[in-house]
Formats: sequence, structure tokens, C-alpha cells
Amino acid sequence: MPPSGRWRPRDSGPVVRPYAVTGGRTEPADGEVLDLIAVVVSTGRAATSDDHPPLTPEHRRILGLCEQQVTVADLAAEIALPVGVVRVLLADLIAQGAITVVRERPTAKRTQNDVLQEILNGLRAL
Amino acid sequence: MGSVRSDSSGPARPPVAAFTAHKILIAGGFGSGKTTLVGAISEVRPLRTEETLTTASVGLDDLSGVAGKTTTTVALDFGRITIGSRVVLYLFGLPGQERFSFMWSELAYGALGAVILADVRRLDECFASVNYFESRGLPFVVAINCFDNAPRYDPEEVRHALDLDPDVPTVLCDAREVASVKEVLITLVETVAARRIPTAGRR
Repeated sequence: MPPSGRWRPRDSGPVVRPYAVTGGRTEPADGEVLDLIAVVVSTGRAATSDDHPPLTPEHRRILGLCEQQVTVADLAAEIALPVGVVRVLLADLIAQGAITVVRERPTAKRTQNDVLQEILNGLRAL
Repeated sequence: MGSVRSDSSGPARPPVAAFTAHKILIAGGFGSGKTTLVGAISEVRPLRTEETLTTASVGLDDLSGVAGKTTTTVALDFGRITIGSRVVLYLFGLPGQERFSFMWSELAYGALGAVILADVRRLDECFASVNYFESRGLPFVVAINCFDNAPRYDPEEVRHALDLDPDVPTVLCDAREVASVKEVLITLVETVAARRIPTAGRR
């Protein structure tokens, strides 16, 4: 928000209300709220089934960006849609089997410390 | 959040994580330098969330003429630091205003830790985030942003004023300087490491 606390016209986002692209839905179809840093990736199985509603251009853009593993936050920033909207669209694609969530296996304590050490080394090398 | 999805039509093999993502929160009052800090060390990208309006915003968000409006747009500062090929650090600025505090728990979920940016002229604006991170048991550091025209205080005085536990580091920083921001983040990760295993994180 600008320091004045007032929105200028260009801050107010797109002309179409964000949830118009989800058909007014504000909750993911399966109720799971993906974390901002949850990693998703396409399964390579594009949804063509007649059982599902047709994909919108926004669905297709997400699908395209998910060819490589990507976080929910990166997706939302990339396609400039609010996180809540991206979550709804992602849930549609997950339900259709076109996208899957990359689940990290629970790491052992030692591995967690390895990661912290790697972060420290990386920050020091910046 | 945290629920396990049962894939009825699941993939043959679950994909192997190409990288691990870690989240660090940047908290602090309005104008404390959160955007500047994130921008100093990473490319800041605006991240919009469309949040349900709560009663907390009644009287603050002007709803006259849009009585049907039930959501409001909240912009977060969002930065990304790639470390090696397998680790990515994400920085999220926590919306400082009290009426956005309902978003904190979602943002704090799974976070490594937090940096609270303090402006010595408005230290009271840190209280809410100090209380919040203490109650969640989330490791944090207090970084005193040295504004050019602000009085200088010893970090120990700030620690005393905020009634911080002895294991919470209090450091001076310049949110505009990448080297300074780097030191703050290193201090935080060292604090996280020290809390998880006493021998890790030493230089």
C-alpha cells in the first residue's frame, strides 16, 4: 500500500474481480489450503476428460508454469493473481490429476541440521 | 493445511523434490523498512492475497457504496534467495497493521524463524509481533533499523525495553545494505540452528 494509505488506481489490480476467474469460488474444491511454499508440479497428464469442466486460460497458464517444480507463492507472483485464487485453480488441476503436490519426506533431525548449515554457508557466500 | 491428500488417481511415482523451500518472516511496524530489507537481498515481487474482510476492518476499510464487498486485497512483500541448487529461501513481509494479524498464523506455518525490524522511535509497534512469535515458540531476532535521523540506542537497551528473553539476539542493521541484511539473516539461522541442536551454527 502506498505510504499515504490510499490506493491509487494502478494499485487496485485488474478490472475483473479476482474471483471471477474461479467462477466465484473462494475455497479449494477439496478444502486443502496449500502452503505458500508448497511445491507443485505437472504430472504430464493433461486433463481431457469430459468429467471435468473445461480449463480456463488461467488454468492453462498455471499448468504451463508447473512443468518444473514451483512454489505456490512463485506461481501467484508470476501470473499476478491473488494467492487465494491460485489455490482454487490449483485444487481443480490437482483433482483432475494434471498437477501433484511434491511432498517432502519427513527428514531426520540430522538432515534438518544439514539444511540449516547449507543455508548458513549459502548466506555467508552471498 | 497439513492434511494428507489421498490420491485416488494418484501418479505412479510421487515426484522427488527438486529443491527444498524455507520461509523466513519479516515483521515490524508500518514504515519500519520491511520492503527495503527484502529488496536489499532479493528481488521483491508483489504477492497479492485476497482476504475475507473481518470485523477488525470495519471502520477502517471504506465500504460505503460496496456493501457487498466481502474480501480485501492485501499486498505482501515477497522475496526469494536461491542457495545452491537445492535450497530456496523465501522472505515474506508480515502485514504490520493489527487488522491483518489474522493472516499471521498462515504465514508463520512452517516458518524457520522471523526477523522483527524495529524503529527505535516507535518501539511499541514491535510488541504485537514479539508477543506473537514468543507464544508460537518461533525463533526470532530483533533487528534495529538504523534510520539516518533516528537516535542511536544500545541493542541492550532495546532488549530491555522489549523485555526480550536472553536467547533472542538484538542487532543493529541498515535495511538498505545487503551486507547488513545478510548478517541479520545469518544471525537468525544461527539462532534457529542453536535451538535445534546446541553445537550447530557455530562459525
